[in-house]
Order: sequence, then structure tokens, then C-alpha cells
Amino acid sequence: MTSQSIAETVVPALGEVPIFVVGERVRTGTRFPVGHYRLPTYLRGKLGVVERVIPTMAVDNEEEGYGRNAGSKGHYYRIAIPMSEIWTDYKGQASDGLRIEVFENWLERI
Amino acid sequence: MSSEILVKKLPNDIGGDAGGKIEMVEHELLPWEKRCHALADVLDFHKIINTEEKRRGVEALGSEMIGKLSYYERWIVAFSNILFQKGILTPGELATKMAEVESRYLTDTALSKANG
Amino acid sequence: MHSEDHNQDHDHPHDHGREHDHPHEEISITEAPGYYDVMETAVRELLVERKLFGPDEIRRQIEVLDSRTPALGAKVVARAWVDGDFRKRLLEDGRKGCEELGITFYDDTQLIVLENTPDTHNLIVCTLCSCYPRPVLGLPPDWYKLKPYRSRAVYEPRAVLEEFGTHIPNDVEIVVSDSTALVRYLVLPMRPAGTENLTEEELASLVTRDAMIGVVPVNYQKRAA
Repeated sequence: MTSQSIAETVVPALGEVPIFVVGERVRTGTRFPVGHYRLPTYLRGKLGVVERVIPTMAVDNEEEGYGRNAGSKGHYYRIAIPMSEIWTDYKGQASDGLRIEVFENWLERI
Repeated sequence: MSSEILVKKLPNDIGGDAGGKIEMVEHELLPWEKRCHALADVLDFHKIINTEEKRRGVEALGSEMIGKLSYYERWIVAFSNILFQKGILTPGELATKMAEVESRYLTDTALSKANG
Repeated sequence: MHSEDHNQDHDHPHDHGREHDHPHEEISITEAPGYYDVMETAVRELLVERKLFGPDEIRRQIEVLDSRTPALGAKVVARAWVDGDFRKRLLEDGRKGCEELGITFYDDTQLIVLENTPDTHNLIVCTLCSCYPRPVLGLPPDWYKLKPYRSRAVYEPRAVLEEFGTHIPNDVEIVVSDSTALVRYLVLPMRPAGTENLTEEELASLVTRDAMIGVVPVNYQKRAA
């Protein structure tokens, strides 16, 4: 059987297959959660592109902060965001950018 | 001015905030600081207090303590609080042990002075 | 215009002895342990008494920490400079690349190695705390953990680099990576010109910690014959 045909018969569990793919355009979330968070406020509601899917599935680090050590694993994504998208008065070059790893529940498809 | 910003923006969330000149300081860790760092690693390895819990525990100290305690001082106070919350230690137990550690030091000093 | 906010995550360049300014000498036995020192000892002893971990584990982890220095990262960089296949593997999976050289990772972090090129300069920061590739670089310097670097590196990286004496031309893009999750970063600096005849060990000796954070390049000054 080819990988293609195997993939056609295998049903992955929910969350196993990354939701976002490299090159996909995304927006970071705009919520303000109470308590521990790992997406800095300077990066809320920003448009970016998925640069990498971090292959190791891991626990949501916000839940981890309250003691979840296992289970409910998901994907982190390395997101590329232009500096000009973050700061209206950015003084560097137009090509300068920021990268950050974000857990899947902080990203929306656009 | 709404108080919400205190809840919405944690004291450690400083990316993009005004910041002064970068002082290129570094220091050799004091013995207790190194022990504290090793303690953090061991606690994380055993998932007694994982690294993210430590971060949250430091955030929970609040901006005044964060501003006034040094890096490892924040860690050890955060660890104490978390251990109390988890029911692993009680404040009384820690206080008793801290008094014992202190008096042990004083006894050792007195002994070495007497023998010196 | 930019005022220092001393209540926000301020740290002290000297983590001890706010009441005195002596240089860091050996702590003599007559100096009483401070409040936090006593706290650390008490917490550790209580947890060992409760058998949550063994007494030798802390001692061992101190040895682990002492063994992790920028020299390890420098070896990784030098190997990547001389071995193109290793470089490829390292860029694909930084942790695996380090493990190939015997640099074990004692935690669950991953490593992405970011290569500097003539078009791209990488800079590493952790705005939220002090995430740093400790298994391969050792412990971070204080300035990396203090507010000015953390707040400004993501806002004005070029100005920050200038403070380190590093000028990045306008046609080179700066990529700032803010470490906030399971991934840590190591910058793979560009190999300086004129180093074609250096051995791998000599190359490694050129690579500084600060070059692997991305605040300075790797320099090479050929010594006069």
C-alpha cells in the first residue's frame, strides 16, 4: 500500500494532525485571560504566517502552569509576524520580523 | 483608570514597554542561588513543581515583590507558596525548619569560635 | 520620554548584599546565611525528609549545571561550520544535533538553531521571563533577564544591537525570536572571513556566548606573523 492509500484508511484522533500548516496565514487571539498566559499582550490580534509546526506535541503551557503535566496535548506553531504589524512606529527596516511559538488555541485561521 | 489592566497584563509581560539602557551586568551565582536553580530543575524533573508552575508562581507574587526581590529570591518564595498550595508543606513546618537551620548555623559558629 | 519603571520586574545586578558593595569573594563561614538562603535550605531539607527526591539529586544537578557552559555551544557552531551535513541536521532539529555531540538535554525543551546569513540576522530574547538554551549554553547573564533587554529587543532590536556595538546594515533583515514555550534558540553565527585554515577547536574558541544569543557577530583578527 502507498502512504497515500494508508492515509486514506487511517482515521487520526482529534488533534493528532496539526490544525495549521506551514505558510498558512493566521491571526493571534484577542482574548484577555485571567491568570497565567504565554502569549504576550504586545502580540494579541496580530496577523502572521506559520513558519514551522513544532513536531513534538505538548501540553498547553497555560494549563501546565496550573499543574497539568500530561494529557490533552496539542501543537505549537512558530509564527512569523512583521515588526510593522506589531508596532505602528517601528523604526527599523520593513523586512524586520518577530517569531514566537504559540499554542494552537491562540491562533485563528484568516 | 480601570483596574482591569492589572489582571489583563501580568507584571512580567514587558515586551515593548519602555526600558532604559542595557547594563551589561552578570554575576557568579551565590552557592544558595545555584542550589535554588538545581532545586528548580529537580522539582521539574519529578513534576513536583514544573517549570511553568514556577513561572506562574513568580507572576503570582505581584509586581511589588517582583520588583523588589531578586531573581532566585522570587523562585524560592514562589516554591514555598506552591508547596503550601499543594499541601506538600505547611507554613508552620517551613517556619520551624527555617528556625532550625538558622539556629544550626548559630551553633556551628559558636562552636567554631569556642574551638578557634 | 522613556522612563524606567522600577516596579516592573526590576532585578538587582548583584543578587545579594544590597547592604554592601564588596567584590564577590569567597563567603566566609562567619557570614550568616540570609533569609532566602535559609528558606532554600529549609525547603530542600524538608522535601528530602519527605522523600520527594534524594539528597544526591541536588548535588548531581549542580554538577550538571556547572558542566553546561558556552563552550558547548561553541563546539556545536564550529562543527556546523566545518561539516555541511551536520549543519543541515542541526538546522532541521537542534536538540538532536546537540545530542549527536553528546550534549544531553535534561529537560523537555526543544532547540531550534537559527542561522545567520548575509541577508538575515537573528536575535534571541525571552520577554516574559528568562527562557534560554541552558543545556547547551549554561546559565544566562543578568542583562538577558533584566527589563531593558527584554522589553526593548522586540521593540527596537537595531538600537539594542547598537548598544552591544553591533551594526546591522539596512539590507539585512533582523529576526527576533521571543522564547515563550517549549522551544529554545541558539544562533548559528556566520563564520568570519579568513578562518579557512583554522582547526575546528580554533574555530570554537572564536565563538562567544553573546554571538550565540545574537547580540554580537563572531570576529576573527588574524594575528600578525
